Amino acid sequence: MPQTASDFIYLDHAATTPVRREVLDAMLPFLGDRFGNPSSMHRWGREARVALDEARERVAATLGARTDEICFTSGGTEADNLAILGAWHRRREERPAVVTSPFEHKAVLATAHQVAREGGEERLVRVTPEGTVDAEDAERLIDEAVAVVSIMWVNNEIGTIQDVPRIGAAARARGALMHTDAVQAFGKVAIDLAAQPIDLLSISGHKIGAPKGIGAIFVRRGVQIEPLFHGGSQDRGRRPGTENVAFAVGLATAAELAVRDREKEQARLRALRDELELAVLAAVPDAVIHGNGAPRVAHISSISVPGIDAESLLMALDLEGIAASAGSACQSGSVTPSHVLAAMGVRPEIATAAVRMSLGSLSTPEAIRHVAERFPALVLKARDFSGLAAESAALSLA
Amino acid sequence: MAGGSKGRVLVAMSGGVDSSVTAGLLVEQGYDVVGVTMKLFCHGDDVPDRPCCSLDSINDARRVCDTLGVPHYVLNMESAFGRDVVDDFVREYARGRTPIPCVRCNTFTKFRDLVHKADAIGARWVATGHYARVLDGRLHRGLDPAKDQSYFLWGIDRAVLSRLLLPVGALTKPETRARARSMGLRVVAEKVESQDICFVPHGDHARVVAARLGSDAPALARGNFVRADGSVVGQHDGFVRYTVGQRRGLPGGFAEPMFVTEIRAATREVVIGPRAELLGRGVVARELRWLVDAPLVGEHVEIQVRHRSTPAPAEIVRMDGDEIELALDEPVAAIAPGQSLVLYRGDLVLGGGVIEGARRALPVLAA
Repeated sequence: MPQTASDFIYLDHAATTPVRREVLDAMLPFLGDRFGNPSSMHRWGREARVALDEARERVAATLGARTDEICFTSGGTEADNLAILGAWHRRREERPAVVTSPFEHKAVLATAHQVAREGGEERLVRVTPEGTVDAEDAERLIDEAVAVVSIMWVNNEIGTIQDVPRIGAAARARGALMHTDAVQAFGKVAIDLAAQPIDLLSISGHKIGAPKGIGAIFVRRGVQIEPLFHGGSQDRGRRPGTENVAFAVGLATAAELAVRDREKEQARLRALRDELELAVLAAVPDAVIHGNGAPRVAHISSISVPGIDAESLLMALDLEGIAASAGSACQSGSVTPSHVLAAMGVRPEIATAAVRMSLGSLSTPEAIRHVAERFPALVLKARDFSGLAAESAALSLA
Repeated sequence: MAGGSKGRVLVAMSGGVDSSVTAGLLVEQGYDVVGVTMKLFCHGDDVPDRPCCSLDSINDARRVCDTLGVPHYVLNMESAFGRDVVDDFVREYARGRTPIPCVRCNTFTKFRDLVHKADAIGARWVATGHYARVLDGRLHRGLDPAKDQSYFLWGIDRAVLSRLLLPVGALTKPETRARARSMGLRVVAEKVESQDICFVPHGDHARVVAARLGSDAPALARGNFVRADGSVVGQHDGFVRYTVGQRRGLPGGFAEPMFVTEIRAATREVVIGPRAELLGRGVVARELRWLVDAPLVGEHVEIQVRHRSTPAPAEIVRMDGDEIELALDEPVAAIAPGQSLVLYRGDLVLGGGVIEGARRALPVLAA
């Protein structure tokens, strides 16, 4: 059993990341002396306002956007809600439908369901067995009745990259708005909103080393959306409420660092991830790596070991100090069947075995080597206890 | 040192005081404790104004483990619990019987499925907060007669006994609460005990049956109250609401207090009668399981036909495969099909089965 902090290995960066030192340092003044309300006319207010505007400008620059196209939110979920509901509420008279995929994050899926509850139409694009959204099917579903299309850029459970620019072009051709949840993509794939046909985009701070509770939405100039909240005129009325200046500064700092380090960090993580996956496959040849046949980001690895449920394996890993996760968890913290793998047509017994390991700033070569050794060992141990697994092993030998 | 020298134990924690103290005692005794809470049912993510079912209990268990400095996990066992426990519960009620889901939960969910989880994390031991004791690999009543829960444990696999730890079985309930306070487990020390079946909201089992089988199921349809001779004496709103031995909700106007003596699902009749008609001189049970080497026909034992009833002396008169029949020294009232028959010798639990029915006449030992 691990005894000290250095014995613990964090492999859940897709869930959240630690706040970076530079980010914390940048935020601290705004939690101290520079506490002003950016809407105030006095010196405290002016100071806060300048910091907020600067933060907005810096976030915009990391996305290839213009300053006025960035609106701060409480996080990815709010940004997704604002994008989809905001766009649909504005356009529903002429365009009652929304298009999304069945393997989106719940923040998008549940919002699309809300559209349906409010009388709209929800259209779901097919997901391929390889784990990507079928762009051809998307092109077929997008027509003049569609208000907004929402397709995630990088899937949060399996790490596959969707062809968002292609689907965005299809949306644009038919007058629909294109939204993408880029929470797992930002800082991992190249985003240039000056060139890419995307109208709305969501990012989240805590996946990239900023705190929980801050995110942003890109709203392309000229795109009209209805606000979710009602109140003051902050952020052009798109998002009333006194702005969280400190966290906005934190998000800007984290975003700059993430984009600056993107290529180098992806290369580093890809090498570690590949090493980990190869080690698992070598020891457990029937392990399934989800999304392996599709373009994937470097930091996410989703692995199923047939015959071993994810719940047991995650416990065994945690008891050795290795923190990973299942695809999705409900409020209680228990593992629930993955809607992502179900959408790909993965068999339930394989889907319930899926364990997600996600790499990031805390992933050192030593840590990954340790996991590469322990993961297969725990799998083999758990298999010893499972009669079912013993049977299937016997069958595969025969 | 953390980690524990006596080996790893998986503790099933409900968020209540008994299982919390169980975990605390095992930490004190030097075990490497891993707490788990089983999520057994969910009334739906689709009901947004209701918190996730049993969430508060799960959070309490997690806080207790945090206080004790041990890990805690939530295990999603909904589908197996639904299949092994809830489905059977509904099926039994639909047959006019009175099931005990806690027995099946112990048999299948806690002491089979959960033991598999223990295996997967290399835990030599499993523990629960039951008031019962394992002595020399044999199951005994809890020391506190007011709390004894051995009645619910007859169905567990005998092989599990050698790795089962039930530390609160040696305590009284007030002692358990006192231990909770001294361990600093304020969250749970004063918690009021729930007598409800965990997955049945407000004790309304008819609603669970209706939700599963539809409100037009025969068990929920109007039927007759009859006397043993077949004479109709009134009407009821569904036999699912009645249990053998029940007095509440019966037609009035009789000289003596009346009880449900039988439920005839096929004709939807609820038979009522005076106390004399409620008495059984024998009992038949099925799905037998033994926690010791099986006793022989002709042996004298004590039996219980419900939780907290006085043990009644009886003689085993027949055993065929997994069916048993006993003759009762004295008549026993309200032997309800679906409840458990548990056989004891003093504090020692011999085994048990599911009650099939009572015999009104004294059974005799086959020659």
